[in-house]
Formats: sequence, structure tokens, C-alpha cells
Amino acid sequence: MEVLQFAVRKLIGGIPLVLGVTLISFVLMVYYGPDKTFELLGKNPTAEEIAEIRSELGYDRPFFVRYGEFLKELVTMDFGLSDSTGEPVNHMLGRTIPISLALVAPGFILGNLLGVLLALVAAYNRSGWIDKAIMGFAVIGMSVSFLIVIIAFQIIFSSSYGLDFFPVRGWNVHSMGDYVMYVTVPTLASVFVALGYNTRFYRAVLVEEMTRDHVRTARAFGISPVKLFYKHILKNALIPIITRVMFSIPLVVVSGSLLIESYFGIPGVGKITFDAITSGDQPVLKAVVSLTAVLFVITLLLTDILYRAVDPRVSLN
Amino acid sequence: MDSAPSSIDPVQARNVYVNTVTLNAYDTLFSFKYLARPYEVKPNVAADMPEISDDGLTYTIRIKQGVYFVDDPAFEGGIGRELVAEDIVYSLKRHFDPAQRPAGAWLWQGRIMGLDEWKAAGSDYSKDVAGLRALDRYTVQFKLVKPYPQLVYTLAQGYAAIVPREAVEKYGREMGSHAVGSGPFKIVSYDSARIVFEKNEKFRQEPVDIYYEGYDEATQKDTGVEVIHGRSPPFLDRLEIHFIDDNSARWNSFTKGDETQFLLVPNEQVDSMLSSKDPITAEPAYANKYHIKWYLEAGLVFMSFNLNFPEIGYNVDPERERRNKALRCAMIKTFDWERRNESFYYGLGRIFPGIITPVVPEFDPDLSKESVTRDIEGAKKLLKDNGWTAENLPTLEYGAQAGVSQRLFFEQFRGFMVKIGYPTDKLVLKQYATFGDFSKAMSLSQLQLVAKGWGLDYPDAENTLQLFYGPNGSPGSNDANYNNPEYDRLFEQAAVMQPSPERTAIYRRMNQIAIDDCVAIMALSRTRIMMWHKDVIAMPDREIVGGFFMKYVDIDKSKSSALDKGN
Repeated sequence: MEVLQFAVRKLIGGIPLVLGVTLISFVLMVYYGPDKTFELLGKNPTAEEIAEIRSELGYDRPFFVRYGEFLKELVTMDFGLSDSTGEPVNHMLGRTIPISLALVAPGFILGNLLGVLLALVAAYNRSGWIDKAIMGFAVIGMSVSFLIVIIAFQIIFSSSYGLDFFPVRGWNVHSMGDYVMYVTVPTLASVFVALGYNTRFYRAVLVEEMTRDHVRTARAFGISPVKLFYKHILKNALIPIITRVMFSIPLVVVSGSLLIESYFGIPGVGKITFDAITSGDQPVLKAVVSLTAVLFVITLLLTDILYRAVDPRVSLN
Repeated sequence: MDSAPSSIDPVQARNVYVNTVTLNAYDTLFSFKYLARPYEVKPNVAADMPEISDDGLTYTIRIKQGVYFVDDPAFEGGIGRELVAEDIVYSLKRHFDPAQRPAGAWLWQGRIMGLDEWKAAGSDYSKDVAGLRALDRYTVQFKLVKPYPQLVYTLAQGYAAIVPREAVEKYGREMGSHAVGSGPFKIVSYDSARIVFEKNEKFRQEPVDIYYEGYDEATQKDTGVEVIHGRSPPFLDRLEIHFIDDNSARWNSFTKGDETQFLLVPNEQVDSMLSSKDPITAEPAYANKYHIKWYLEAGLVFMSFNLNFPEIGYNVDPERERRNKALRCAMIKTFDWERRNESFYYGLGRIFPGIITPVVPEFDPDLSKESVTRDIEGAKKLLKDNGWTAENLPTLEYGAQAGVSQRLFFEQFRGFMVKIGYPTDKLVLKQYATFGDFSKAMSLSQLQLVAKGWGLDYPDAENTLQLFYGPNGSPGSNDANYNNPEYDRLFEQAAVMQPSPERTAIYRRMNQIAIDDCVAIMALSRTRIMMWHKDVIAMPDREIVGGFFMKYVDIDKSKSSALDKGN
């Protein structure tokens, strides 16, 4: 009951957040975003045709009328049709989000699990050569451009100049075997880059935890390293780890991975979001912004509940 | 393809990407011959070329019987019905209905009797248009306000693709992602990464006569297209077009062997794959493995001075206007086309004076090259004689879409101008985040220097000469906002003339006027290099309307199996 009350309170408290995000985003779209009018016009438009297209797009209506319609769309979760393809926006999201999830999930999970694992090893061997080697690898992962990593991995694993094991690009998935073929190289590329950031972050968290008094005391009592790590370090370090993982989820779900999707030719939500941003396709942008904001509110709620689950000292009040 | 079409609705067929899709999913009255170069138009759904009245104002076009749309729930019983003349009337009317968000009205505006009035009266499809009528089930008639010799070309474009009314009424704006046509292929799926077609089993049986299509044994025998002679297209059961923005991904996918079959060679690969640029010769490693052909694009790149700006163009002070012209001429003399060609087009582009491109029949190969020959001393003298100094030269904004290559173009341009003493801080790059923003700035006449490329809509010099026609000024395609009564008079005179030596002479006169008035720094046509696998039988070409060759593509399965075995 306490959790339910907390959830209701939190969700109601999230409404101003969603309103704020949508308002700011809509101001940016309307006043600073690309003007779709000139994407839709032909080669020799007349002033009359420009006015007609603007009217069709609804650009000639007052800002707050348009924002009101945006909120109505948000409540009904019906964002209309894409201004580019005419496809229903909900259909586009329904088609692309599962692909992005399937694409990004392995990299996201592996990147975090391996990140924690490597961070544990590095923290345990703090200042030793293993720690330095892992941190060196992390710095490389952070320093090399994601773009370069993608191109290099494509050449190494997929092209005729390299191992030629996997498809260069595409997403023709009809079976588990196809899935493994198409997801492997994108996953390797994203894990390579994510490991750098994750390992450094988690190591810092773990090292801080390892220097606490209760850990020193436990060690003095002769507790085994495995138990020490699991019970006294990792468990206490879970709060920042949960925060990092949970707050990545909305972006993983909605934004996908633009670079991965573009370079591997994968029709995910990241690609349609990018196209919508560059072409000024407002119905798609409104849907993506709304979904991200709502997911953030839900994530905030779940994160608080998880805090409570891993640390009984945290009160939901 | 190097980009995805943003829509597949014919009313939005405004670039090569949309055309490539629409021309394979839909039919048009006319199309271009597969192999003939220069391009020649031929009947497609039309049974023959149009009957044109003596005054050039009435076009009567009979269409083929037995042309069927693909099966779709939009039709009664889900079975595609026969394409009839009313469909052509309806499809063109859509361009005059604002609710369809059309982009192609400019092709027929002010040309077809009653069509503009039909739009002004509210685009009511139940009302007839005097100049656009179905005389019977298989005959359509166009009545023109004035002669329009390019009409047949416009009816070969994606804009003129024939859509059934039932589909538009059922799907509305979703026609942008759902095609219901009668073309050689039907669309199975379409997203931001690829489009998948399957053979339209209902497509009419029309055996190919390669000699009628313009087959040239001397230059095309190695493509193997003879094997399609006498057979009815399409030959592929399944056609996939992948949209790959990134050059390296496109190249890797192609060279891998079992993914991409066709490729427009990215610039970065040109150096490594050519052993000679003059004549163009491929390295044996590539020549032995792939079919390679090159051709000059049907288009050009050039840079206009926007004459709406008194700093560089028209001015209330006649003396300043005269000096402005001298400044523009000096900048043209300073521009180094040879360097531009070497730096950005691997020295393979063709530099030519004026706006009439080499691929159209009206091109004059003997025109003086003076306007494309660098002459620093001549430019300096012009500036000095007209009182221009580093202190009084105007600050000019060069507009471009944001990007590394655009910045490089600008920096090279600025580097050229420094040679005549133009201060670097007086040539300013103004970048726009998206093409839409850049396009908006051009349309609203906000840019002083406009660098752009233009792809021909049809093989007639009128299509590029209209770039300087006064009434086409902003927001139209005359970005220079050039306004010369003599040029406009000649344009209007030629616009109603059928192709003839007299019309060619007028075109060339207009070209010379634009050169003499120093309206733009022009021009260069790029060379396109196409590569495709040895087992693919085709003569690819993405110019003019793009993608019209796809239905003729076939696979040599004996070579495919040899390739599979690694031979």
C-alpha cells in the first residue's frame, strides 16, 4: 500500500516535469527547428503555395493552440501522421522501438555487466598493473570516436577486407540465427565504447566504497574477498549503479542508437528520430519527446522503489 | 542509394530518391528509352506518342488496354482494376489540391487550360477541367494555354505517376508510405533503411526490343543486355534498394559480394580504383571483377550571385550597379574551375561555360571558354578600373548547409578570391543546420552567394535556362533573382517552340546573355562512375528521373553460381 501511494504521488508529481519538457521542446521545435515547409515544396513554388503548405502543416496557427493540441495528443497518445511519409506515428514507433530494443539491449546489458566486473577487478587490484591495464583500455574506449569504432569493426568483422564473418549492414531477422548475425558487430562496437565509460565510473564507485570504515573493519575480521565484495562493497555501491543503469533506460528504449542504426542500416527509432530532427517532422518529434518524458517519470519512480529494495534505510516518504 | 526517399507518394517525387521508387511501383504515360543516349522519350502506358494539333495546344493520348493496378484492399474485392484515362486526369489534379501537399504543380501551372482555376475554385474532384479530360476509357486529352513542348517529358516523371483514386481516398496521406500502382514491381516493405519490391505478376507483357531502346553495340555489348531482347520485363522476382548514407558502409557492402549489387562509386574510392583518368580506365583488379561504366551527370554545379542585394547586384544607383557587375565578373575570372575539379571531383568533371549542360542537344561545344578560364590579372584590372579596393569591397555571405565538405568548398572559394585582394573577413560562411533551413534561406532570398547543384528534370536546356528567368525569382528556382527583360523575352519566345535550330539559337543567345551579365560562376558537370557485379545484366543510370532502368535488370545465374564458388 505504501508503495502504491508513493507511486501515485510520484506520478502526479511527474506531471509538471512532463509539461515542462514538452513545452520547452515544443518551443525549440517551433521557433528553432527546421521549417518543414521548404522540404515539401517543389522547385518553383509560388508565395501562395508556400502559404498553403504552411497552413496544411498548421504553422499559421497560434503557438498555444498548437501546444494545446500537442497536450491532447499526449493524453490520447495519438500523434497523428508523420509529415514526411504520412505513416501513423504510433505505427512507426511500434515498428521501430522493438528493433532498437533488440539491437541495443545486448550491448547495454553486456556493457554494464562487464563494466561492473572489470571495475571490481580493477578496484581489487587498485594501483597494480591489472588496474592500470583495465583503466588504459577504458581510456581507449572513451577516447576513440564511436564512428571510428563502428567503421573499424565493420571492416574487421564484416567486410571482404577483414574476417567477413557477419553482414556489413541490414536487419533481415527471421530467426535467432539471423539475429545473432546482425546484432553481433553492432553489439561489439557499442560494448567496446560503453566499457570505457562504465568501467571508469563503476571503479570510482567501488573504490570509494572499499575505503569505508566498515569494509576495513570487515577485512580486519578476515572475511573472504568474495563475501567482502558481494556483501559489503557491491551491495552498498548499488545505489549509484542503479541510478546510472535506470536513467539510461529511457534513452535506450526511445532514442535507440542513432550512429549504430545509421551505419548498420537498421530501421530503428534512433534513425527516425534523427531524420525527424533534421527534417522538422514535428509529429514524430512530439511523440518521441513525450514518450521519453513519460518514461523518465516512470524510471524515477522505479528507481526510488529499487533504492528502497536494496537499502532498507531509504524511506519512500 | 545514398539516401532514403522521405515519401513514396508521386505528389512528392521531387528528387532522384523518390523518383527511383515511384517509377518502379507506378506507371507513367511516357518514359525514357533504356539504352538511348542522349535520352529519348518513349510511350509507356501511352499506346503511342501523342497526337499534337497543328497549333501545339492539344495533345491527345491513347493509352494501352489491359494495364492493371496491383491487388490492394483499396479496390473492390481487393483485386486491382484496370488503369483508365480518368486515373491520369485524377493523378494530375492531385498536384493542384493543397490537401495532398503536392510538390509538382510547377510543371503544369499556367499551362493546362482550367487547371489553375479548378484549384482556385476549391479543388473539387467532381468538377471537370477543360484542359484535362478523359475523352473515353482509353483516351486522355490535354488542352494547353500556350504551346508547351516539354509536356511529354513532364509526363515521364515520378510526379506524373498514375495513382488510383480509391487508394488515395482509402489511405490519404499514408500514400507516402503505401504504394498502389501498376508499375513493374509492387512494394512489400518500406522503412528508413530499405525498400523491398516484388515482381508485379500482373505487369503487362511487352517484349523488349533493345534496338528500339537505343542499344549501341560498340559501347554496351559488354553489359550483356542483348540477352533481354525479346523477353518481357521485369526480370527480377525481388528487388531491394538499401538506403546507405555512409560511403564506407556502401563500399564495404558492395565489395563484400553478396549484399549490394549496384554502386555509385563514392569519391573516396575513385583514386584507388582508377589507373587513369584520361581516358578513364579502371584498375585491372576492379575491371576484372565488376562492370564499370561512367557518364556525365544530367545536371551541373554552379554558384549564383543574388542580385537582389544592392552590394553585389541591382542598385538604385546605376553607377554602383555597373561597378557591381564588374565585381561579379572579376570574381568569375578569379574562380579556378580546374582546381575545383581536381580538389573535389578527382579531375573527372567537365567544365563548361554558361548554364546549358553538355548532356542536352542544345549544348554548344564551341562556346568560348573565357568565362571558365582563370585570369587573375584581368580580374585585378577590372576591379581597379571600376574603383574597387580592399577597403570598399562589400562583405558577402556564402550560404551552405552545415558540413565539412561545404566548409571546404567555401574555404577554397575564399582562397581563390584572396588572389585578387578580397579580404578574408569580407567573405563569410553562413551555415544552416539542415537542408530545409538552407532551402528556406534560398527561397526567401536571404543569401548573397548561393552554391548549388541542379539535376535536370528533362533533357532540354529550358530546364536550366529557367534558372535565370525573371518570374522564377525567389521563392522560385532563380536564386540569382536575375531580371533581364531581353533574357525573359527570349525565354518566353523559346518556351512555346518545338525543338528546332531556331530554338537552339535562342537558347544559346540566352546562355551568352547570362554569361555576359556575370550572373553566376558556372559551371561543371560531374562524372558518375557506376559499378555492378558481373552476374548482373544492366545498364544502370540514375540521371533525369532515376531508377527507370530497374525493370530491365536481369541476373546471369551461371555467373552467380561461379561467383558463389569463388571463381
